[in-house]
Amino acid sequence: MLYLPGNNPNMLTRGYLFGSDGIILDLEDAVPMREKDAARILVSKYLDLGEFGSCEVTVRINGVDTEYWKEDLAAVLPYKSLSGIRAPKVDTPETVKILDEEMSAIEEKNNIPVGHTQIFCLLETANGIWNAYDIAAASKRVTAIIPGGEDLTADLKTSRSYEGTELEWSRRMIVIAARAAGVDPLDTVFPRITDDEGLRRETEFIKQLGFAGKSIIHPNQIPVINAVFTPTEQEIEKALKIMRAAKESAARGQGAVSVDGRMVDAPVVKRAEYVLQRAGITEVD
Amino acid sequence: MSRTAQAGTLESMDCLVTVTEANAGSGISLGITGSSAARFKTAMEKKVHEVLAAMGVKDIDIAIQDNGALDIVLGARVETAVKRLEREE
Repeated sequence: MLYLPGNNPNMLTRGYLFGSDGIILDLEDAVPMREKDAARILVSKYLDLGEFGSCEVTVRINGVDTEYWKEDLAAVLPYKSLSGIRAPKVDTPETVKILDEEMSAIEEKNNIPVGHTQIFCLLETANGIWNAYDIAAASKRVTAIIPGGEDLTADLKTSRSYEGTELEWSRRMIVIAARAAGVDPLDTVFPRITDDEGLRRETEFIKQLGFAGKSIIHPNQIPVINAVFTPTEQEIEKALKIMRAAKESAARGQGAVSVDGRMVDAPVVKRAEYVLQRAGITEVD
Repeated sequence: MSRTAQAGTLESMDCLVTVTEANAGSGISLGITGSSAARFKTAMEKKVHEVLAAMGVKDIDIAIQDNGALDIVLGARVETAVKRLEREE
């Protein structure tokens, strides 16, 4: 998902064309204090009348510890093109409940089904990481949890290294908490925008941990991430083979079955389903 | 001295809107310059008047320096500038 600065008409207009799965219209860090009002109005106009193709559209609001968050929510929630909000600095389940309450009131006022708008939680402190499961399970609105990058590193009182050692445990914690709660673990941004090799290495690592996707700050990073996350033809072929065998075995009333000398049971079928889902294949003939 | 407020930038696809308070009954004075002004001035003027009418503004001076702003950007910048002016009052 690609971050777009909320006060930049050029990026708001073209951002969805770069090929990311989603875009995040940013009202927080990308917008200076004196321009918060302008960005809020501009983003609401784009949500009302802008074009986004098939991109999932979210808005990063300002944190609940600021004076802006309620106005941010009121400005963006009424529009159908909005899938969810990205909430920064979510430290405890109480933060989710505060957001949930305010969002329900706005949805009700605007005749939107209550609970329609999702919450993507950014866990940017040690406290947030520690409470990851409780945050993910705090509301049905929570769709994903995401570790912070710079803020989390600062809170851990360390610095960002090339290898990302300082974020490793937090990332593992996010994946376990998210999967346990039934939400998506999404990764933080890779800050060095010209280092494709470093981005590829980090993306392969986080995919292996179990992350479902990664946030990005520059369109040039999209092809690298898509290449890592899109299943190869071999992986798709293998998954199709497994799904067909499982289907046949179920039709015969059998349980486990063997494919290419390997036992195929429920977890293997589940993984194959996930590969096909990432490849955009919904039906197996 | 009359109060003024601004919104927007001179970046590509944006516009810089400067609004100045005007005496009651003086009406709307609108000036548009910039890259799209020659071709789309009438449509741009229409958009500005629509935004002002929706906000209930009858007396104001507006100067717009355009750098290829879309309709929605123009509307957003005018709305922001007027709201900023109202906040100063």
